[in-house]
Amino acid sequence: MTAASVQFALALPGPPDPELVRIRDLIYQVAGIFHPDNKLRLLLERCGRRMKELKTQTLREYFECLTIRPNRQAEMIALLNEITIGETCFFRNQPQLDALRQIVIPKVMEAKANLPLRCLRIWSAGCSTGEEPYTLSMVMLEEAQGRLKGWTVEIAATDLNERSLAHAENAVYGNYSTRNLTPLYRQKYFTTVGEQLQVQSAVRRSVSFSRLNLSDDAGMASMASLDIIFCCNVLIYFDLASKKRVIQHFYNKLLPHGHLFLGHSESLYGVSDDFRLVHLPGATAYVKSDRAMTRTTGMTGRQGA
Amino acid sequence: MNTAAAKSTLLKKLEGVRQMPTIPAVLAPLLRYLQQPLESIDVHRVTEMISQDKSLAAQCLQMANSPLFGRWQKVDSLRGAVVGLGFQRVSDIAMSCSVLNLLPHDTGIDPVVFWEHSLGCALVSRHFACKISFPDPGKAYLAGLLHDIGIILNLWVLPKEFCQAFEFAKREGIPLDEAEMQILGFTHCDSGRLLAERWELAPDLIEVVALHDRPAESLNYGGLVGLVELSDTLCRMSGLNHGYVENREVNLLEEAGFSVLAEQCQGLKDLDWARLTFELDSYMDEVHALVHSIYRP
Repeated sequence: MTAASVQFALALPGPPDPELVRIRDLIYQVAGIFHPDNKLRLLLERCGRRMKELKTQTLREYFECLTIRPNRQAEMIALLNEITIGETCFFRNQPQLDALRQIVIPKVMEAKANLPLRCLRIWSAGCSTGEEPYTLSMVMLEEAQGRLKGWTVEIAATDLNERSLAHAENAVYGNYSTRNLTPLYRQKYFTTVGEQLQVQSAVRRSVSFSRLNLSDDAGMASMASLDIIFCCNVLIYFDLASKKRVIQHFYNKLLPHGHLFLGHSESLYGVSDDFRLVHLPGATAYVKSDRAMTRTTGMTGRQGA
Repeated sequence: MNTAAAKSTLLKKLEGVRQMPTIPAVLAPLLRYLQQPLESIDVHRVTEMISQDKSLAAQCLQMANSPLFGRWQKVDSLRGAVVGLGFQRVSDIAMSCSVLNLLPHDTGIDPVVFWEHSLGCALVSRHFACKISFPDPGKAYLAGLLHDIGIILNLWVLPKEFCQAFEFAKREGIPLDEAEMQILGFTHCDSGRLLAERWELAPDLIEVVALHDRPAESLNYGGLVGLVELSDTLCRMSGLNHGYVENREVNLLEEAGFSVLAEQCQGLKDLDWARLTFELDSYMDEVHALVHSIYRP
């Protein structure tokens, strides 16, 4: 398919272009993010933008840019940036948040029912400009009116990029980030600052931001005893070895009942057997697998002996 | 009421029902005809058989034009559909249209959601079967399509009680069979068995209809029953559910159907469940559009 015909193809329904399917499968293999057939049109648009930039004529040629040309790794990152652009906003994935509230939180509470300290710890790993941890904080404030009454909620939010973190701490957002906010949340948790919205202090109070490189083993020591980890559209940029290392950290930092949430259509297939995919209504998450638990328990036993 | 008593009440009720849901007359001979060796099937004869039922023929044509059945160019005749899509797909389509017409109207429940779920489950079962090299994907499609026919019977025979069970399931966010058990004392799998036997469905399909809530009890067709149970669960946890959200967490590897199917299908061991789940997304819009267009043209 040529660049001109990419434009033409966008207007027509038709069977998936095999070259586009090849790029889709490559992205899934390298980054773990999947475009189902009904999202191929979107992928075509994204490839089209990169092809225009590179002055590449065909999808076949663009596939070569991603696989055999000298700058292939940089091009893959540029394409992944196109894919995730605009993903950062409040309430990005509603079914995931509903599942968190309806299913995961009750499970955490049940697992911790007999502990003296009623504390729930969440980590937003790769929090970018802060929309995700603040969304979680708002959701938890809502829950605090009901089942989480009397519980302390701590949200650790980390990112590698200092500019993103500064933006997050400033907590002022424009129309694009706030496009999914319902009037209720907008009114209850935000203050208008000129044309923008600022997150209120009640929401900011439970979120602590810090700079962290997920590949830095030493830096990871600051995280422990977590109930839930959100790591959305972050691992896609890591190579397999780094992914495995980060996942191992997540495994060690999560409590046995812990849940790991990834981005929409993001998968750990081929990365780790330590986590098991679970299905929640309209969303998926990962929990520690029995196999890994047995291994850990076995190790603990030997260490104790 | 205990289960045995409830089942006997159901049987009694059934005996009193004069009009049972029936498959359109054209379908049985058509499906029989399509079971012949390929070389002896005549395209003309197939189109002639479908054309006998005008509304079935119109719906078949509409379905044949959906990308769900692999057709991207407009087909404007039944003959074109049969030639373009092949006998297996046409048989799938004819069967789908027929069962889609079966749900009684005016029961207080929107029939569209059940057929979205059934058609979704049929497509997912076929897709899943192909992924794990299950020997008969066509059979998987049919089994997915028919697995919930017990709901038709429940709506037909006990509309008030079934609606009560459905509303209870919806309110509590629990699986439909759990709610049926509490309110009716039996499930749509139990009533489905009665209807499947009455329709003289093949023995493997009867087992799917009767045991998709407990595949471990399947005696002869565990693989097919397990496959449909897993597809059914995937649909119910996605937008192809029964019209409401089940508030639960499911690990498919712990489902009874998984171990039964794993015994038969080596391909299941290394299956990428995440990808399979994401792939279902592409069915949803098409299934919604197709079922709506048939019900509310």
